[in-house]
Amino acid sequence: MTLRLNQLMVFATPIIIATLVVIAPVQAADTELPQSEQGLTLSDQGIQKSADGGMLEALMFYICAAVVLGSGLAICLSKNIVRMAVYLFGTLASVALMYFLLLANFIGVIQLIVYAGGTLILLIFGVMLTSKSPWAKFDVKRNEMIAAGVICALFAGMLLMVVVNAEWPLETDAVVVGSSMTQFGSALLTDYLVPFEAMSVLLLVVMIGAAYMARQE
Amino acid sequence: MGNYEIALCLGVVAPLFMFAVLAFVGHRIGKPTSGWVAVLGVLISLGCATYVLTGWLSATDKAALMATTGYDWVVLNLFGNEMPIEFKVKLDGLTVMMYFMVTLVSTCIFVFSIGYMAGHSDEVDGQCKFHRFFCYLSLFEFSMLGLLISSSIFFLFVFWELVGLCSYLLIGFYFDKKFASNAAMKAFITNRVGDFGFLLGLMLVFVFLQTFDLDQAAATFRNQYETQSGIFAADIDILGWHVSGMDLATLMGIGLFCGAMGKSAQFPLHVWLPDAMAGPTPVSALIHAATMVAAGVYLVARVFRLLTPDAQFFIAVIGCITLTITALIAIVQIDIKKVLAYSTLSQLGYMIFGMGVGAWPAALFHLITHAFFKAMMFLGSGQVIEGCHHVQDMRKMGGLRKKMPVTCWTFLIGVAAIAGVGIPGAHIGLGGYFSKDEVLAVAYERAYNWEDRFGGHAAEGGHREGDAHSAAPALRSGQVIFASGGEHADSHADAGHGGGHHDDPVLAGIAAKQHKIPKWMFWLPIIIAYVTPFYMMRCWWMTFMGKPRDEEVHHHAHESPLMWAPLIVLAAGTLISSFYMFRPELGEAAAHATQAPLVVSVDGEVPNKAQHELLGLSHDKDKDPHAALIGIVGFAWVAGIGLAILIYRNGLDLAERIRRLPLIRFFHWCLMEKLFFDHIYDTVLVGGTKWVLAQVSRAVDTYIIDGIANLLGRSTVRIAEFSGNIMDTGGVDGLVDAIGESTQGVGEMVRQPQTGKIRNYIMFGTAGAVLVLAAMIAVVLS
Amino acid sequence: MFEIGLTHYLVVATLLFVMGIYVMMTKRNAIGILIGVEMVLNGANINLVAFNRYNGMSGIDGQITSLFVIVLAAAEAALAVAICMNFYKNLNTVDVDHGDTLAG
Repeated sequence: MTLRLNQLMVFATPIIIATLVVIAPVQAADTELPQSEQGLTLSDQGIQKSADGGMLEALMFYICAAVVLGSGLAICLSKNIVRMAVYLFGTLASVALMYFLLLANFIGVIQLIVYAGGTLILLIFGVMLTSKSPWAKFDVKRNEMIAAGVICALFAGMLLMVVVNAEWPLETDAVVVGSSMTQFGSALLTDYLVPFEAMSVLLLVVMIGAAYMARQE
Repeated sequence: MGNYEIALCLGVVAPLFMFAVLAFVGHRIGKPTSGWVAVLGVLISLGCATYVLTGWLSATDKAALMATTGYDWVVLNLFGNEMPIEFKVKLDGLTVMMYFMVTLVSTCIFVFSIGYMAGHSDEVDGQCKFHRFFCYLSLFEFSMLGLLISSSIFFLFVFWELVGLCSYLLIGFYFDKKFASNAAMKAFITNRVGDFGFLLGLMLVFVFLQTFDLDQAAATFRNQYETQSGIFAADIDILGWHVSGMDLATLMGIGLFCGAMGKSAQFPLHVWLPDAMAGPTPVSALIHAATMVAAGVYLVARVFRLLTPDAQFFIAVIGCITLTITALIAIVQIDIKKVLAYSTLSQLGYMIFGMGVGAWPAALFHLITHAFFKAMMFLGSGQVIEGCHHVQDMRKMGGLRKKMPVTCWTFLIGVAAIAGVGIPGAHIGLGGYFSKDEVLAVAYERAYNWEDRFGGHAAEGGHREGDAHSAAPALRSGQVIFASGGEHADSHADAGHGGGHHDDPVLAGIAAKQHKIPKWMFWLPIIIAYVTPFYMMRCWWMTFMGKPRDEEVHHHAHESPLMWAPLIVLAAGTLISSFYMFRPELGEAAAHATQAPLVVSVDGEVPNKAQHELLGLSHDKDKDPHAALIGIVGFAWVAGIGLAILIYRNGLDLAERIRRLPLIRFFHWCLMEKLFFDHIYDTVLVGGTKWVLAQVSRAVDTYIIDGIANLLGRSTVRIAEFSGNIMDTGGVDGLVDAIGESTQGVGEMVRQPQTGKIRNYIMFGTAGAVLVLAAMIAVVLS
Repeated sequence: MFEIGLTHYLVVATLLFVMGIYVMMTKRNAIGILIGVEMVLNGANINLVAFNRYNGMSGIDGQITSLFVIVLAAAEAALAVAICMNFYKNLNTVDVDHGDTLAG
């Protein structure tokens, strides 16, 4: 059964993602920020979605969620590290699509570029550089898997209980959301300047550190 | 920023740059060269210091030169108003002189270190220690100079911790030796105790004065005293203990002083300094004699305006105790470096005592001369230790003067300076002669003439109140005040110096609160003034004079030019600083740094007189404390040195016989055991902590771990009994295995958490999170 | 049902998060654990962006934070791969269960 799901996902994931990539611009256009005299604010019409838009958004969300969770589950069940990496791509890409749905276009793009484009490649390189055979398997004891499953199920159950029952103070109607590059740029160079600089130093350190650790001899 | 500030900053940054160079490419530079790199950095600092000093000395209007420039590092928004934490360079007399002293001394020591460390830096784990030593020294130089130029207490604290770190690194430089790493930890931990108090003081400054800038804080403090607001209006109950505003202000001062107590190794935190001698000798000279330990005194000098009379009294008491006990311990030491360490402690005690009784300029004067001659003596001892191949025991030395002439005679200059050799009445003498005389003169005034002067004055001022205030030579808030005659003050006002401060009722008001110090606080330093020459001469004589006591050691002894050249420079520094250097400038610095109505009349010819007037001491011959002191301590050095020569003239036999005398034997034992401070701390603090921890862990052991183990054991036994019965009755052999397996399973389960496997740890972590979450949900639901 | 709200995203994020933890627990391949970490970070990130969308105080604070998380994740991945390679060099395997030398 595991095998079947795996195989299914291998084929389904690219198809679903391709579909989503086609549909996403439609959705994005639907919730496009009106660049009106109000600047970068989302007007009332933008928030109060039409029934069609709502339907479409819901559809998009469910597909995304299905891919995210489906490939996540596949990662959990897969025993092959290369397959896991491929499923991870499914997860990451559909999370990026979720960001588009959440009107966080910039973050979505960054997610695709950095994660799907960079981190994933890095991981696959790691696999190739470290395994004697890419198909090597490390089996885990069944009781360990069961214990992990029980703990995770409990954890998930409780977290969901909290998430579903909590009353989040929603301010959607009053919200002005946007994520233009301009906003990001000015935020990064004003309010978030210090973390931004710290982050750049961190990246430098990581670059040196990784090169140092991975060097030969 | 003016040229001088830029020069000061450049002087600070140069060693930092060299630190970076040595840290990153030091191992490539090689053995002698990396030392010269560090010397280059400190030479740049010295150049800057000289430039600033010459500019400062030649300037006619020094007030115009004084500056505090820089920028706001962080602006906090507190209590509704903005509070900047500034990074600013402070340029005033105190900074300039300390800066010059530190750079000059450290240049000599850096050069000396190249010669010294060549034989003392073996390879450890394939890493050459040589460049690391200079790397740390450069970092220290940077931190120390940064400490001197900081205008805010906050940055002072930052650099304060940095010098503490460097001290730690350098004491533990031979970290592969157990005693060295222990000494480093002891120094660090003892300093933490002091710094805790310092932090508390900083918090009080932060909360009540709302600024870290020294000048602003002082102004605010004074203003709050005048209006009885801020800290003086505070009225707090701490654990049922009522603290009034004045007490809180005192607490603030004592808190700040606690930092100085740690760093300057004052009683009761003095125990780390003798152990710190485990570091290389140049380190002892630079950090643990000349500069870092003096930073405590410098701190007190800087925050002097924030000290209330009570706080000053506390400081004086601490200084007095320190200088007494450590000088006594120094008498019996046989390790040449330990003698110097205890004498350093004693001299630091003198400085702190001087600060406490209000002899601000005298204490700093002593600081500067002491830095020169003590650094010189430490380097001399380093030379001896190096020459004798790591022998530090003075009993094995003797007769080294022919082998090491330069070391011998420069060391003698140091001994003379610390002993206070001088000719009373003629104003000829070496460093200690003047500075001790001045400190003691002030102590004498405080102990004997205080009430006469001030009390008499107040009575006289009864009929003309305004003048009484003007005559009260009160210094700034909570500062030592010396009552001089009204006409006296007037005459100085006529002289055109410091006249503007005279009608100051606030100062007069505080003057009335000033303590008269108890008489023992005058007599103890007097006694120690006799003891100091004795133990220093003992040290010198045992090392350099007499017959060689160990042929082996004597045979190897030698000098090297790289190491004695700095000694000569420092000896010259000692002589020059004794006679002339900085004395008038220190007076002026005092006037500024304490904002006191001090009357400075510097004629340059009679330094004592300048000091005299600076302190507002009377000109009246009958009441002149110096005249009184000549009789009491003027010839202390003759007595001390004479006694030492008498005893040690013919080797150690006589000393040994004296030691065997019944009562002296007991005292000797006490002193050899350092008056039991280490034992007490070891028993009470370390032992106490260990005891508490032992109790706690024993409780955990007996009640929790044993409980679980017993439970498991008992349940296993029960299971075994139960199944045993079944087996007996039913005869089912297979169950035996099941029992064994279940027992094993239980063991396995208990053993599980210690797998060392990361995945399991993640699992346990998550399980813990689940439990916490469950508990939270349960709480919310219930 | 068709009105997608904050809770929907949070549910997805939670599940992704927990799956990531499960992956960390059950994969013996070091790279597999790394994949689990990435999933966990993604789950957290979805939270940040979703809160920003539905609960944000007219700013993009949540998105900025998630940006930082992405950067950190990338840095962490680079370092972790380097660590994996060191691990492989020393133990000749990437099986983390062999990394228990210090377990005593």
